Amino acid sequence: MIVPSVRREWIWGLRSFLLLLLAGAYLALERGGNAYLQRLAILFLINLMLVVSLNLFTGFTGVFSLGHIGFMALGAYASAILTLPVNLKAVNLPDLPAPLASITLPFFPALILGGLIAAIVALLIGIPVLRLSGHFVAVATLGFLVITRVVLINAETFTRGTRTFAGVPPFTTMGWAALWALLNVYVAWRLKHSPLGLRLLAARDDPWGAKSVGVSIGRMRLIAFGISAFFTGIAGGLWAHFLTAFSPNAFYFSRTFEIIVMMIVGGMGSVTGSILGTLLVMASTEALRNLEPGFAIGSLTVGPLYGLSQIGLAVLLMLLMTFRRQGLLGDRELRLEAIAERLERWLERRKTALEAPRVRKADP
Amino acid sequence: MRPLRWIGLVLVFLLVTAACQPAAPPPAVTPTAPSASPPAGTPGGGAPIRIGAPFNLTGGMASIDVPAANGARLAAEEINAAGGVMGRPIELLIRDTKTDPATAATVVTQLIEQDKVVAVIGFNDSDYVLAAGPICQRAGIPFITVGATSPRLPGQVGDMLFLTPFGDNVQAAVGAEFAFEKFGKTAYLLWDKGAEYTTVLAKYFKERFTELGGTIVLEDTYQSGDKDFSAQIAKVKALPQQPDFYYISALPDDVGTIVKQFRNAGITGPIVGGDGYDTPLLIQVAGSAAENVFFTTHSLLTADSPNERVRKFVAAYKQKYGTEPEAVFAALGYDTVYVLAEAIRRAGSTDGQAIKQALENIRDFPAVTGVINYSPQSHIPQKGVTVIEVKGGKFTLAAERVPQKVPTP
Repeated sequence: MIVPSVRREWIWGLRSFLLLLLAGAYLALERGGNAYLQRLAILFLINLMLVVSLNLFTGFTGVFSLGHIGFMALGAYASAILTLPVNLKAVNLPDLPAPLASITLPFFPALILGGLIAAIVALLIGIPVLRLSGHFVAVATLGFLVITRVVLINAETFTRGTRTFAGVPPFTTMGWAALWALLNVYVAWRLKHSPLGLRLLAARDDPWGAKSVGVSIGRMRLIAFGISAFFTGIAGGLWAHFLTAFSPNAFYFSRTFEIIVMMIVGGMGSVTGSILGTLLVMASTEALRNLEPGFAIGSLTVGPLYGLSQIGLAVLLMLLMTFRRQGLLGDRELRLEAIAERLERWLERRKTALEAPRVRKADP
Repeated sequence: MRPLRWIGLVLVFLLVTAACQPAAPPPAVTPTAPSASPPAGTPGGGAPIRIGAPFNLTGGMASIDVPAANGARLAAEEINAAGGVMGRPIELLIRDTKTDPATAATVVTQLIEQDKVVAVIGFNDSDYVLAAGPICQRAGIPFITVGATSPRLPGQVGDMLFLTPFGDNVQAAVGAEFAFEKFGKTAYLLWDKGAEYTTVLAKYFKERFTELGGTIVLEDTYQSGDKDFSAQIAKVKALPQQPDFYYISALPDDVGTIVKQFRNAGITGPIVGGDGYDTPLLIQVAGSAAENVFFTTHSLLTADSPNERVRKFVAAYKQKYGTEPEAVFAALGYDTVYVLAEAIRRAGSTDGQAIKQALENIRDFPAVTGVINYSPQSHIPQKGVTVIEVKGGKFTLAAERVPQKVPTP
């Protein structure tokens, strides 16, 4: 694509503005010391990873996965078992097999291992499951989620069963979360515009057409499934070291739906949409939650409205599904090129609008 | 892309149902509403003492967390009407954490960082205490859990954590000792492996019962939410001789169903359980099948109780909310605010360390759910346990006792 040089300047300007904005926001949060906002930021980054990686599979292939939170659970438990200090292991997990009981890994390798375990499991279950298509995959992956939960509850040696897994060191900082979220978004973006991504999108929009030109749909989907599960596992590890205590209940339907809602609001198949969707859903939930204890508008006082944030989110979703079924962005992306073009056009229009009356005045 | 619309519709439906679970606490004016006029008798001088009160007011825990929050609110209003603490009113910041540990952690951080609360009370389940507790611990803010009964919590969270109820090891020991003396030496043990509370309770019961010389003739498990217990019942019926009693460790939602199905199958012996049975659901669901059921709990909340503090609490609760306390957790919420107010009064300050030390020096504090004692070594009160028998379709007092020996947490 040939981009006019004036617009290229615009793009560079926008790009540096965006980067400065992000860096500024990061530093303000990091240095500002408001622990509440920091928590929200970390939670946003982790949710963003979950949404982007789910979108990386579901959005790019058109095959619905309801089992991704299972990968999150695997990453969370695997990394938490690996980083748990040895003395706590003796108390909390007394029956842990020998090599695991005596080692404690640093955060980074534990996270990677958690992600890899999720990815390997994804590849194993992906081979049979991805032979199915459409809604059947949704049901099969839902089955995976249920199985993961049953295994977590029964593998008491490793997970303490239904009892809370506590004492995980609080390693997840803003830096770690930002780093991984950036990497995740970058990988998803590159993947979408790579030959692999183009084949996935082609197979999604016209499976027979794609097959007829030699796209091996099964293998492409498996790769996307694996990458997606890896990042979901990493997000699980970050979440585990953020919350420090959790039980299998945390990785079930309610979290699954939360993530799917964010993905659908943003638009399936859109990376920038995922960012917008996560931001919109989290911001509106948090804003409504802050109104719940009661508020006043002028002289009108409203009492406590617990549950307001859930109802608000449901209404938002209903409106969105009625008026914009494809989500905020559909499967398109917010591109700097397009924004720059619009800005330019807008400025031009303003210029002509400013000049036009002057011309007309000079006429008579 | 048609399927998406359907998936969207399904999601909307699910969200709406999730949001419509028993949420609505009574339309009481919370002290947080900015322009709410202060109740009569509110002490004039001094900025309010802010106490954070996170509860799961919506979602799966709501049936016991809403009464707990109501009890706490009632106590705060009574204290303020009587002149507050150190001449300052108490401001209870009740927040909904949506039965989600991540929300619990966020809410508690916000309460400490933005609302500058001096102490936090709340929650009836250890999942939420373990998510929120470490944040209070790091900030040096005392945290009293209203109803989480795991005796390991103080060890897991740290020295800023206190419990209002007794630990599960205490109630399991009382259950074992009571049943051993009253019913006999053989027991059947069934527990829900889908929850921490039921698993731990069964474990402590077994430990204490076998230590006493009892024998568990059969052990079995199920999952929370199971609706059909015929497999477990078939195994019980196949026993050559029926045990003296049946100890069933269950969550409030399942208690009624289990009892009903056991009775329908012709099992008439005494059924014994823990404070999960303390729900109106037991008699509502099981009906006359609930006769001959015994359970350990924090207190028997009836309007004609011989205990004056209980009578007063039940009357005040009924007057404010138009119903008798729905669950014993209402009384625990009430007690928590009173014990915290007492500690702040004794500390004469709102400093976290001072409040913690004052709490550790609370001795023989008369509460609705028993006498509360804390010490630097134990942040779990050594309270008496109430044993309730279902008789004539009502909860009646069977015993009030202290365990002879308590299994180590």
